[in-house]
Amino acid sequence: MSDRPAALLPEPAHAAPEPPIPGQVNPAAAVLTNLIRIGDEMFAWSDAVTGYSGALRHLVRTLIAGPGTHALIAGPHHDEMITSLVDSGAEVTCLVRSLRDAEALALRFPAVGVLCGSASRLGPAHRYDLVVCLDGLDRLNSAEGTPLTDDQLLATLAKAVTPDGTLVLRHENPLGIHTAVELDPGARERADSAWYPPGSSADRPASLSELTARLAIFGLHATAGYAAFPLPAHPSVLVGPGLLGEVGAPLRGPLQAVLARAYTDAYRDSPVLSDPRRIAGRALRAGAEAVLAPAWVTVSRASGEVPSHALLAGDADGPHAYTLTPADWGATATTLVPADETAVRGGLRRVNGAFPVATGVVLEERLFGLCASADLPGLRTELCRLAAWLDGHARDGLVTGPMALADAGELLDDGTQLGLAPPRWSPEQPVAAGTVLTRIAWRFAARLITSGQPHPWPVTSSATDLAGLLLGMIDRPLREDSLRAALELELDLTGLPLPDRDTRRRELLAIAPGAATIDVPGYRELAEALWRQRYQASHLLAQMTWTEQIIRSRDLHLSKMDWEIQLYRRSWPGRFLMVARSGYKLVRNDTRKLSKKIGKRRAAARRAKRDLNFPEPGEVI
Amino acid sequence: MHHANYYYGHAHVLARYCGLTDPAHPPRMLGYLQHGWNIGDGMAPGVPLVDGSPMFVWSEETRRRSVSQGRRNVLAIGAPFAYLTEMTPDAGAPREGTIFYPFHGWEGQQVMGDHQRLIDEVRSVEDGPVTVCLYWNEHRVRGIRRLYEKAGFRVICHGYRGFWWRDHDREFLGRQLAELRRHRRVVSNRLCSAIWYGLLAGCDAAVYGDPMVLEDGDLTFGGEPRLRRQWPEVYGYATDRETCRALARRELGADNLARPMELRNALGWAEPLERCA
Repeated sequence: MSDRPAALLPEPAHAAPEPPIPGQVNPAAAVLTNLIRIGDEMFAWSDAVTGYSGALRHLVRTLIAGPGTHALIAGPHHDEMITSLVDSGAEVTCLVRSLRDAEALALRFPAVGVLCGSASRLGPAHRYDLVVCLDGLDRLNSAEGTPLTDDQLLATLAKAVTPDGTLVLRHENPLGIHTAVELDPGARERADSAWYPPGSSADRPASLSELTARLAIFGLHATAGYAAFPLPAHPSVLVGPGLLGEVGAPLRGPLQAVLARAYTDAYRDSPVLSDPRRIAGRALRAGAEAVLAPAWVTVSRASGEVPSHALLAGDADGPHAYTLTPADWGATATTLVPADETAVRGGLRRVNGAFPVATGVVLEERLFGLCASADLPGLRTELCRLAAWLDGHARDGLVTGPMALADAGELLDDGTQLGLAPPRWSPEQPVAAGTVLTRIAWRFAARLITSGQPHPWPVTSSATDLAGLLLGMIDRPLREDSLRAALELELDLTGLPLPDRDTRRRELLAIAPGAATIDVPGYRELAEALWRQRYQASHLLAQMTWTEQIIRSRDLHLSKMDWEIQLYRRSWPGRFLMVARSGYKLVRNDTRKLSKKIGKRRAAARRAKRDLNFPEPGEVI
Repeated sequence: MHHANYYYGHAHVLARYCGLTDPAHPPRMLGYLQHGWNIGDGMAPGVPLVDGSPMFVWSEETRRRSVSQGRRNVLAIGAPFAYLTEMTPDAGAPREGTIFYPFHGWEGQQVMGDHQRLIDEVRSVEDGPVTVCLYWNEHRVRGIRRLYEKAGFRVICHGYRGFWWRDHDREFLGRQLAELRRHRRVVSNRLCSAIWYGLLAGCDAAVYGDPMVLEDGDLTFGGEPRLRRQWPEVYGYATDRETCRALARRELGADNLARPMELRNALGWAEPLERCA
């Protein structure tokens, strides 16, 4: 360990995998024929690849016109993205700035052409039918040479597209939700890649409309603009035309449920300033998702259109992708790329296929509203509806399929009936309806506490207390076995390994006013939890003082009564009473002893008589 | 449990509703229960309370007012009398006459006013037999009892509400409900719990006459003038039955009663779950 302050040590993700050794050349790279150094390549450097989600992969794949399509992947991308394009028959070229990455890439993908250097070195000969730049503009520049501004980079990418070609670009939103919740002190100082702060270009497009306008200047017409969530570098939910900003769209409810889930997965156990799900929810209600999305993804062409999706979502780190389309009742979730059905989490299995999805508002939002307005009759009505809905889907008290994992945050209510948001997991074994309902109540109670939502019950209530209250509102008991089974389902969903499961189980059981979170640790929520702890401590101190006062008061009364008793005992009637009482006790005790003795004698006599009359074994009467 | 939770057998009524095995001896209630209708924060003024403790008030409006006065952890559960009414179906026996509740203070206060003038007014307005229900400390004063008896009123007292964990009359509310259901009208010279109870028990209600003055009456929340201004519907010799009943249901939280299991959880009477955290 050097004497370098620990805070300034680079993050593992940004660090070069190996320390540079001057003069050393990768022997295998010396014979690589698919690697071209175009200039400004970075030595002793490596870039971490950005995520690859099922939604992005599907989006890009649909843009491959067929075998022979020339595709450029500009910037560091996940291997799966490259494989996906190669498998579709495209002739793929990658552009990366790190020489080490370029060599490794060329070795891993012999059929892929690798350009190493900065994007400024792309020349007129570099023309492609499809340019994929899902890593954004920042890493197209190199530390070497003269960096291009964002406008110049856009122009460069646009020039690299053939007249019939397509550019797929992801661009980070400087106003995105991720910037509002970021809690990463020293991130810029620690990042070796921040020789200029990311996004510091003066001409950086700051909105989706500005981005499409700039692309138009360079001859590209954005046929589809998506708001990408939940993380700029790892978008797994794309909100597209027909849904973007349309607060009255029928897919609004499912979008909210899908986004909440995506945010939970993306920020799980990551410290943040404030829970991003709350801001995302508000952005959706305001139709401001294009304004607050962490990134935008545009599909641009010089001419012609490409089909777009209203909502394209999937796994953040897997191939699974699906789209939602409105239907006669609710919506239909259509699987575009199936999930790996062999994937198992505890007793859960992935689900695939087309299935109906409800629309309407997210039930959790409605329940939050009722709690905030202390509308207890309304809450009882909603909970009764929920229980009746669940009972209606139970057979012999058991619930099967994804419905067994129903949760208020993933249930949608169109005003007449409830339904599931697009499910991902399903238990392999049926689950008792009581367990399902308990899990819904407990999860909602936990969310009330950990997200600092206002509710009508004491602020010092634990999740178990609140779950008991919620179930009590519909005459259902909170049983310990149901609660434990519900928590096991919860743990299955997290996919945690066994040692971590035990820790998480304890955390879940202990969700009380002082608990800040169960998944996303937000500073605001932490401060809220601290306030509740102080409140509880103040209450306990006040209660102690009160108890002391009561004990003092009762001691005083006891002393007075004792004094009275002694006074009465000293008087003649009192003495007489005491003597009479002692006499009575004596007589009562003696009588009891005597009656016991008589009882024993009689029993012995009865036994003796019976023994005399009873025939001996073998005796003939 | 705060001793005021036992007043009038409130805790006992709730324990019965919750289905506790020994409702005559209810367990400690984790908080303070509103023990009378009032226009403040639900709690009796001047009663020392432990900061941060849950408070169980009767109506949603009282809950809001309570929060506005700095109280927290306030839950509207409905009045114990409303639970009792719910548990005790009306046999439908014929009703007759009027039950009159002269305004009372508590034992620390004295009401100053002319009882005779009040009696004359009641006598002139009410056309059937009149029962007067005196507060326990007035019922003990022979002079006051005599005054009403001389006017031909039947004089009763529902009992002693209890104090400091002693002498609680567990049947207080039951007796009151039974009396109210015997009468056609409930009358008082000041809007009070009994008027709302009477309305909930199916009586017509009227508030009229000298409201009397309470010694050291607390005017923080507007006192008697506010009662007339805010609930004019119940004032006068004749009032609209349906309007007043709707008001009573609101003030007593009768449409917002908790389910037994819910109430057990809210009051801290539920069986604790074994925890292995």
